[in-house]
Amino acid sequence: MSERSTWSAPAELAQLERKLWMIGGAGALLSILGALLDRAQAVQSYLVAWLLWAGVAFGCFAVMVLHHLSRGGWGLMVRRVFEAATKTMPLLAILFVPVLLGLPHLYSWADPEAVAASEYLQQKTNYLNASFFTLRFVAYFVILGGLGWLICRRSLEQDATGDPRLARRMQRLAGPSLGIYVLVATLAAVDWIMSLDPLWYSSLFGVYFVGGHGVSAFAFVILAALWLSKRQPMSRVFTHRHFHDYGKLLFAFVMLWAYFALSQLLIIWSGNLAEEITWYFERIQGGWKYLGMALGLLHFGLPFLLLLSRNLKRDARRLAIVAALLLVLRWVDLYWQVGPAFHHGGLALHWLDLTTVVGLGGIWLAAVARFLGRHSLLPINDPHLEEALPGD
Amino acid sequence: MSVDDRMVPHKPAVIAPGHTSATVSDQIGEIVFRKTPRWWYFAFGGSFVLVMLLLMALTKLLVEGTGIWGLNNPVGWGFAIINFVWWIGIGHAGTLISAILLLLRQEWRTSINRFAEAMTLFAVACAGLYPLIHVGRPWLAYWLLPYPNTMGMWPQFRSPLVWDVFAVSTYATVSLLFWYVGLIPDLATLRDRSRSPLKQKIYGMLAMGWRGSAAHWHNYETAYLLLAGLATPLVVSVHTVVSFDFAVGQLPGWHATIFPPYFVAGAIFAGFAMVLTLAIPLRAVFNLHDFITIRHIQNMCKVMLATGLIVAYGYLVEIFMAWYSGHWLEQFMILNRITGPYRYHWWALILCNILVVQLLWIRRVRTNPVTAWIIAMFVNVGMWLERFVIVVTSLHRDFLPSSWGMYSGTFWDWATFIGSIGLFLALLFLFLRFLPMISIFEMRTILPKGESKS
Repeated sequence: MSERSTWSAPAELAQLERKLWMIGGAGALLSILGALLDRAQAVQSYLVAWLLWAGVAFGCFAVMVLHHLSRGGWGLMVRRVFEAATKTMPLLAILFVPVLLGLPHLYSWADPEAVAASEYLQQKTNYLNASFFTLRFVAYFVILGGLGWLICRRSLEQDATGDPRLARRMQRLAGPSLGIYVLVATLAAVDWIMSLDPLWYSSLFGVYFVGGHGVSAFAFVILAALWLSKRQPMSRVFTHRHFHDYGKLLFAFVMLWAYFALSQLLIIWSGNLAEEITWYFERIQGGWKYLGMALGLLHFGLPFLLLLSRNLKRDARRLAIVAALLLVLRWVDLYWQVGPAFHHGGLALHWLDLTTVVGLGGIWLAAVARFLGRHSLLPINDPHLEEALPGD
Repeated sequence: MSVDDRMVPHKPAVIAPGHTSATVSDQIGEIVFRKTPRWWYFAFGGSFVLVMLLLMALTKLLVEGTGIWGLNNPVGWGFAIINFVWWIGIGHAGTLISAILLLLRQEWRTSINRFAEAMTLFAVACAGLYPLIHVGRPWLAYWLLPYPNTMGMWPQFRSPLVWDVFAVSTYATVSLLFWYVGLIPDLATLRDRSRSPLKQKIYGMLAMGWRGSAAHWHNYETAYLLLAGLATPLVVSVHTVVSFDFAVGQLPGWHATIFPPYFVAGAIFAGFAMVLTLAIPLRAVFNLHDFITIRHIQNMCKVMLATGLIVAYGYLVEIFMAWYSGHWLEQFMILNRITGPYRYHWWALILCNILVVQLLWIRRVRTNPVTAWIIAMFVNVGMWLERFVIVVTSLHRDFLPSSWGMYSGTFWDWATFIGSIGLFLALLFLFLRFLPMISIFEMRTILPKGESKS
């Protein structure tokens, strides 16, 4: 069991990684071409794409620390996937540069003309300005990336040395990490999405962002686990029971996300205050309305009904279909939050929306595959591994 | 601890070693049949005096009206709503322990779920009292229910206050059923073990003909799981609706979207504090150290720490958003809380709910019953202060400075509040005397060899 080479990735992973780099490269080329034609549209599309994949990585970090904290057996089988996603944080930080370059196309507080024209914006420029925004961005990634790096390093060290104290050390790091993650995600949600409409505020927005991360992480992990479970060596150890657990956790996060979304909507709708309702006002009109409905029906309603079924959760393929649907809806959710800030007239899809999300996805997934290809797919020396594996 | 100890993943026992089915039944069941200990009379008597105080306060209220309370024009919601939210929050831990931890297969819940559920019921009873008396004319409280009437009047369905009526009454019903269904096998045990014919009759009737056949157990397990599934969303929904009571309004300090999750976390926080407040003395008095172990106390402390941090997040994000919003009314509200006339309440709340709770990071504090109990008491006070701060500081200085005012509870406010604590304790002492406070049959299933249930 403790032979590390037995759990190295299948040969197909290298092929997949090559394909992903090609997809990523093609998407990136097309997007750069698009940026030459319409710079504003390109960064606007790119922001949504970046938020989607960064959300998966952030969610994986959070779920990984949750797993260390609770010592849940459910996380061991996919711990390397969480770690692979966490380790992409430096890459994601670099990939944020186009957003930083295009700030005036995205945020009105970064546009000197808009600031000069609005007294409200001038009040907020102490916090919302390009240099402080960048500084905060760097801080978020240094803090979370640093914690992620520390935890992943210990996990890999555990593979190598089998030192039993490492599990406890990771658990100790996990508690504060989870708290720090929630604080960072809250501030990041304000910076990256809420400040697109600089006058709007909602104190629930941070946890709504976090709930989305949870859905993204489990949707992605289920797809990754399906891919791994179809191939040696992981096909030997994945069972229905594992997918049942992931299905339950996905279900929990879908409900949590919906709970946050509904609470925010209901409170703002009931209060009907001019400074708050405008945010929803734009998002429930024109073409945006249909995306909003799609969120209610497909990000909550349908997955809720499907995930109630025990059989579905135990069937990796059918569960993966729900997970794929949810990953698409994660993009819809972010697009619905971000898009109306640029297109007040109504829904305006652009081909760049597709190329950016595919291009960035290709690159990000390739980085994940690269990590998985270099390490044992199971944390072979974890003291709890025996519990997570199917009995012989 | 040596390195070898750490290598083996071990779970501390949820029941002390050396117990068998018979010793479990004896030790828990005997509490009910033993001669009533003398301290019980004092404890029950003391609580009963407070129940009398409650009755006196209620009589005075019904004769004279809500004018005997400290309510005034800016502060139209006072102790009644504070105490309602406080009590209903306390109830949530019982449901969480009995339903959610059951679904999560946390078997350590077994020894604390019975009295935690009883605590829920009594807390909901105390909570329900307040809206009822706050309407001023309790004999017309049925107007809250939607029913066809000659006046053609319906409640305002858009108001969370009406949702509260449904949420709380559903919650009370499901909690009662859940508790009672869980009691049935133990009532049968008591019937079989009691020696007096009267007791046999009473426990026999309550046990509803339980014979412990395979068919009985099968139906029982199904019913119990279904009720657990029903009770789980109620933990979230009840306190969410309670938070909506405030949040759907437009008042700064009430109108905050973070309220639903932070109220739910606060409810669980307060509830676990109350379970600890009760469990630690009970285990000492009834010598239940074998069943309510240090592991239980530690786990409850961990839940308290986690939910306490969520509550702290709620406070932080409220302050941050008030500042970020640039909205002067929001900013005034926060500053008024921190530096205004109720600043001592606010700082005391931060001390009780945030600062003291951080001590639970330390293992030795969590595993010591005395320190755990003291921290739990801080949280009980802190959560009451939290509701006081939310209700009063938001109302007392609203949009019109000409109508600002101050609020404080009168003698009758305090009498009602302390009286309701007496009612809660009196019900609890009756429960301890007449029913097994720990689930006997479930304890048998977690005995090392008695793994009859999955």
